[in-house]
Amino acid sequence: MARLQRLDATMRAAMRHFCAVVLAVAAQPALCAAADAVEPALSDADAACLGCHSMEALARSLPDGETLSLHVAAGPYARSVHGAFGCGACHADIDASVHPAQGKDIQSRRQYAIERAEACGLCHADAAERHAGSVHARRAAEGDPLAPLCSGCHGSHAVTPRTAYETCVRCHSADLAAHAKWLPNSRTHHEVVSCAACHAPEAPRMIDLRLHGGAAGWVVEQEGATPFGELARAADADGDGLDALELRGLLQRINRDAPGPRRLRGRVELREDVLAHGLLAREEAIRACDSCHRYGAEPFRNVTVSIVGTDGRPLRYPAKAEILGSALAVESLPEFYAIGGTRSPFLDLLFLLALAGGIGVPAGHMTLKWLFRKHRARRAGSGGE
Amino acid sequence: MAQQASGATERIYVHPLPVRVWHWINALGFIALILTGIQIRYVDLVGLMSFRTAVHLHNWIGFLLIANFFIWLLFYLFTDKIRVYHPELSPMKHFRGTLRQLRYYGYGIFRGDPNPHHVSVYRKFNPLQSMAYQIIMMLVVPLQFFTGLLLWDLHRFAGAVQLFGGVRVVATVHVLCFIFFTGFILVHPYLASLAHPPSRHFKAMITGYEEVEKKPD
Repeated sequence: MARLQRLDATMRAAMRHFCAVVLAVAAQPALCAAADAVEPALSDADAACLGCHSMEALARSLPDGETLSLHVAAGPYARSVHGAFGCGACHADIDASVHPAQGKDIQSRRQYAIERAEACGLCHADAAERHAGSVHARRAAEGDPLAPLCSGCHGSHAVTPRTAYETCVRCHSADLAAHAKWLPNSRTHHEVVSCAACHAPEAPRMIDLRLHGGAAGWVVEQEGATPFGELARAADADGDGLDALELRGLLQRINRDAPGPRRLRGRVELREDVLAHGLLAREEAIRACDSCHRYGAEPFRNVTVSIVGTDGRPLRYPAKAEILGSALAVESLPEFYAIGGTRSPFLDLLFLLALAGGIGVPAGHMTLKWLFRKHRARRAGSGGE
Repeated sequence: MAQQASGATERIYVHPLPVRVWHWINALGFIALILTGIQIRYVDLVGLMSFRTAVHLHNWIGFLLIANFFIWLLFYLFTDKIRVYHPELSPMKHFRGTLRQLRYYGYGIFRGDPNPHHVSVYRKFNPLQSMAYQIIMMLVVPLQFFTGLLLWDLHRFAGAVQLFGGVRVVATVHVLCFIFFTGFILVHPYLASLAHPPSRHFKAMITGYEEVEKKPD
């Protein structure tokens, strides 16, 4: 009986699949036209795939009772970082001559996601290698169905550059409140420190000072305008990274043509984004505040100035670490401050002077009083002047 | 006439209880804030406690001192003792009094001259103190507390931080006030000891009563 039920389910699934394919093929010219209207960059081969796979209802019933959606949104895919590579780049295992009649053997959505992650690793070997040692990979290997695979964080087809914060918080939103129990200024930390900066403790970090337009959000490089890199190179007269005065010059140049004030907001980021794949368990994350909040701490020795590129990736230009504490850069960096990390040598000097004055003035005054003690005694003895 | 040769003294009540309570809580609190502040700012050089402990202590003591500030403020606002903070409205008179006091600390005190300022219930501050405490209590202390409050939760007070010119400006003002108070806390007890006997002002801030030379009739 059970076998009959499984057979029935399989036949019904095959029928649905067949009907879907027939419908899709019938509608292909119209869909291709629509796809062309949205994203003309799609190749004919991709448009053919999307002829069926852009149907929202296209799905497949799996033996474990789950349904696997086979829908791919054409526009987001075309705009994704993988859009230019084409469907076949990741789905090379699909044989067009027998597809879709001979479907892949997919037992569950999880099993399929694991297979697909292996395909990601063919191009992203470095990321896959880092991920293999991560808490996410360990949990996945232990069979935790919630442990994210590649698509869990990056999505399947609409892969675009996103901040780690956006990516992590989708699953870990409850952890934001947990940080507040022990981390002072936790919300500010979440805004200015990449999750991986603490949760990938072995990864080298840096300070990225990124152009921000206030209410307008992060500034994105405009096509047709002078490229950010060109402006930065022009400002960096000696070519050894921007110093405080060169940074001020760069900001003045950028703000000259900007529709609104542009300021730099600092973030603690990983020096290599790929290292963010090596996230460790929370017990292994950095909890020592002074790993950042001490003068000359590792993240503060590498500084870049950046803008969001047209593809969403940051375009960075190196700056000198001294600008973070320079009195000359207060005007350029009013919105970035980290205890210890941006400590100003000028204020340190003032503090030393205050200490020296606070000890030296009473000590000097006391000494003078002691030296004049006989003079006072003589005057007191003589009854005054 | 040399100060040591002064005549009879009398006791006057110059420091009411709320002022004494405020003063000593403030003194101990500021020392604790300076020490924890040094620990926070110079964690690579100082090892009194962990950074996190220092931050938590600094925050709690800061809130305690903000509450304590209101003891001082409300006492003076609702009693006639506020007269001790009334400014001298004649600039020339104030200037002359300040110079006279500076001359005493910088010269007369070595010779044994008497302190030109005579303490009374409503004139417990000399012209130099009067000017300094008006600036400190009405500008520097509130600025220190306000900037500290903003730094305590930058997200909650993001609007005020922006109005102030950004977190870097807020932090710089906070550190400048910290530097000032570090110098102040070192010099203040010494200046308080420049009396005869040196313990006179300290006892007064404990008992409320100050021994002062009787003014000649």
